[in-house]
Amino acid sequence: MIKNYFKIAFRNISRNLGFTFLNIFGLTLGVAACLAIFLIVRNELGYDSQNSKSDRTYRVTLHALDYNANISMGIIPTMRTYFPQLEHATSVFYQPEVNIKIGENRFAEKNLVIGDSELDKVFDYQWLAGDHSTALSDPNSVVLTETLARKYFPQNNAMGQVINFGDKNAKVTGIIKDLPANTSMPLNLILSFSTYQKQFSDMARFFWNISGGAYAYIVLPKSYSVHTIEQQIPGYIKKTWGKDVDASVQLPLQPLRDIHFDQRYINNIVTPTSKDTYYALIGVALLIIITACINFINLATARAIKRAKEVGVRKVLGASRPQLISQFMGEITVMVVISVLLGVGICALFLSQANSWMSIDIAPGQILQPEVLSWIVAITVVVILCAGLYPAFVQSAFQPVDSFKNNSGVSSGGLTLRKGLVVMQFTISQVLIVGTLIVASQMDYFRNQDLGFNKDAVISVRIPTKEKREVFQQQLSNMPGVKEFSVSSGSPSYNNQWAPFSAPALGFPKDNVTEIKYIDEKYTDMFQLTMLAGQKITRKAPTDSVHKVVVNETLMHELGVQDPQKFINQRINVSGNLVTVIGVVKDFQSESKHKKRRACVLEYTPDRFFTASIKLQPKNMPATIATINKSWSTLFPDDLFKYEFIDEHIAAMYKQEQKVYTAFQLFSGTAILIGCLGLYGLIAFAASQRTKEVGIRKVLGAPLHSIVGLFTREFITLIAIAFLIAAPLSYFIMHKWLQNFAYHITIGPAIFFIAIAASLIIAALTTAHQAVKAALANPVKSLRSE
Amino acid sequence: MIKITELQKYYRTEEVETIALNKLSIEVKEGEFVAIMGPSGCGKSTLLNILGLLDDPDGGSYLFNSIEVADFNERKRADLRKHNIGFVFQSFNLIDELTVFENVELPLIYTGVPSSERVTRVEKVLDKMQIMHRRNHYPQQLSGGQQQRVAVARAVVNNPKLILADEPTGNLDSSNGNEVMELLTDLNEQGTTIIMVTHSEHDARYSHRIIRLLDGQTVMENIMI
Repeated sequence: MIKNYFKIAFRNISRNLGFTFLNIFGLTLGVAACLAIFLIVRNELGYDSQNSKSDRTYRVTLHALDYNANISMGIIPTMRTYFPQLEHATSVFYQPEVNIKIGENRFAEKNLVIGDSELDKVFDYQWLAGDHSTALSDPNSVVLTETLARKYFPQNNAMGQVINFGDKNAKVTGIIKDLPANTSMPLNLILSFSTYQKQFSDMARFFWNISGGAYAYIVLPKSYSVHTIEQQIPGYIKKTWGKDVDASVQLPLQPLRDIHFDQRYINNIVTPTSKDTYYALIGVALLIIITACINFINLATARAIKRAKEVGVRKVLGASRPQLISQFMGEITVMVVISVLLGVGICALFLSQANSWMSIDIAPGQILQPEVLSWIVAITVVVILCAGLYPAFVQSAFQPVDSFKNNSGVSSGGLTLRKGLVVMQFTISQVLIVGTLIVASQMDYFRNQDLGFNKDAVISVRIPTKEKREVFQQQLSNMPGVKEFSVSSGSPSYNNQWAPFSAPALGFPKDNVTEIKYIDEKYTDMFQLTMLAGQKITRKAPTDSVHKVVVNETLMHELGVQDPQKFINQRINVSGNLVTVIGVVKDFQSESKHKKRRACVLEYTPDRFFTASIKLQPKNMPATIATINKSWSTLFPDDLFKYEFIDEHIAAMYKQEQKVYTAFQLFSGTAILIGCLGLYGLIAFAASQRTKEVGIRKVLGAPLHSIVGLFTREFITLIAIAFLIAAPLSYFIMHKWLQNFAYHITIGPAIFFIAIAASLIIAALTTAHQAVKAALANPVKSLRSE
Repeated sequence: MIKITELQKYYRTEEVETIALNKLSIEVKEGEFVAIMGPSGCGKSTLLNILGLLDDPDGGSYLFNSIEVADFNERKRADLRKHNIGFVFQSFNLIDELTVFENVELPLIYTGVPSSERVTRVEKVLDKMQIMHRRNHYPQQLSGGQQQRVAVARAVVNNPKLILADEPTGNLDSSNGNEVMELLTDLNEQGTTIIMVTHSEHDARYSHRIIRLLDGQTVMENIMI
């Protein structure tokens, strides 16, 4: 019997290739998209889960002036003594970039970590060479990832080789496997902590209310409550750091697996992301599968009329209803299984390409993991049941007596359902169109609008030594391709220095946190910062002992002053120095727009001018960059010329959003395409059902447009109904999403107009071919065939 | 074999009630060949549907082999039908997706006959209907006469006691029509009871008895000599 069902299923599939193609292709895309989303979300939500102790590993953080991921180097050594029960505890120093020299070859690498042997015990790296218990014990030892070891020493064994880090030489004492991309502490090289023992010991003497240099991790013993440690932390702070530390200061323990999703902290190594974003992607996956299932149901119930005779005959010959349900379910099963297999294949192909352009790191081989395979089986069963049960029940309910007549009793119920489902599909596609448009507008807003400074055509270069800075500046000023340049601690969008500030004179004796930027006299004009009152930062004579600063609006507001004019000449404390405010600048965006703008102080301090910001003439920028590179290589032969366009740097702040946006575009497009396939099938079917009607109308003189209208009018009504549901629904969802950002766009009516227009165009394009074909058919033929 | 007494069937729409069978009483004995005739809308097909347990009556009694079946539920009717009744339709009603062999095999599948026995029985009946050489063809590849022979083969493969034929020659030319009527006559001679609805006086002459219906009632019975 089962064999018979499958035989018939295959034959039905091959007999109705068009219909089968629409169904299978739609579901294949749906399964591929859902599987890709499943893997992406699993990867993202699985941040730091690769670590065997991840459920009892915590990052020790600082809540003093702000939530800060970076704490004093002194915390971990003292915690080890105060909390002997800790299984492991380690501090690391993290450097985002490092210049390396091996022989004559120079490299600029990312993610250098300086750590001790405990680091491996916390994160259990997989060692390919070297002894993990001693590799990081001695000074000047370095551990490389497999990729770097191969890159630096393609011919030789990397072990024992020497690498130069500028001021230090280090010997390779270990090689570990590359870390997965979903780690909150990425690293390519580990330099032994003891290499910088002296410097770190100095830093470790202080508590540091802001950024003490270390990222600290502890591992609790198995089944040990974190609350026990948390309760003892105030006692530890008091005993270890004495009265100097304010009673309000806390050291929150942040679970390792929460780091990637906790957006409160400054100084994170990897920008955290909101879990909501991934839940939204799961939502899109659900919508895709629903759309694909609707196609199945719609096309199957539409075709049911054609199959009514077959059902009647089978019943007359003795088929029971359960037997017929099994037969229809068998057919659906065959189609779903084919689609799932194809979908899995497409997903694997997609992943092999998408990893680079979506900045994800998911090996296609993950599909074969038992967890993923069971998910695939589960989705197969769910789709079979969702897409198959209803049509199977409807079709098997046909009575032979009705089905041998003119089928009139067979179709009407299904028609209402089909219209309802089509409305649902249009609703889904409109919600996705609105969602994608809003995400796109927000992305544009992030990168281009309301930044408070001009970012165009500016590159940023870190200057290695201050001795030759003046010469470099001199050379830049002679290059015709360079429009302007400025030296500073960083361009407006680079924020890396923090300082405490207070203003006892204004009634704010307690420290608060401000960003601090050290800038030269050209900075304000080059970046087109807007002065609200007072003067710009100017060059300070070496003899001038007065500290003069420019502050931003936020700082002024935080000190309770609203009028910029009144803030001029006020004296405030910054990093323990009394400074005079000589100007107030309009707020500019130095961090991502996820967060409220912070207080900022601008000060002229040439010692801190590590960065050159160079504004290029728009013409022939590559040639100018080549010229800068040339003079750089002469001046700084040991350092690579590494530059970054500021707008790229800004875009990188929204890497997570960009990733999600790319995913949304892709998957929304997929959902809409699947919906179109179903719609096409449905109208093709409607056209074939109405051949006779069209024939009669034509004989009676109906023009082409009235017949095309016959098919399209109905869909326009359905789109309008869908819009009434989709507009408020998408407004609600997207309004909520935008609340994730401190600065966001407002949702205007234009987006909704575009969504309904897009729906109409999509539906028109989808239905036009079939409608016109039906309208152009020869009525003699269509009437005869009836 | 069949005894219906005061059988009633109505069709209702929102405004109109049509009486299809009006207290109709008929008896058919085992081994009989009965033709039912009458103008369109007289209730012939309704009667055949009820006799074939495809439809249920609104009143009256239907005894099939002395068992009251008028109030059987669908499952019981289906069970009785598949073991006892074969159908032949005017429009053949073969399943387009199945080959000749598979169409004929279908009733045996539904009655749970094992695969090896099915092959033997289907081949035997195809042979008898002289359609064996077309066993792997699909219905669309056959002529009307051949399709109806397949339909007859399918109707008899389960050795039913009763065959209900609804205008079996209606879609055939006279020579093919005669062939089908000969087949039915042969089956009847071998003991199968046949009830046939027809418009054709010519076909009706193959039967033993003609029942003429009008407005859901018997108006005349002719015994054929």
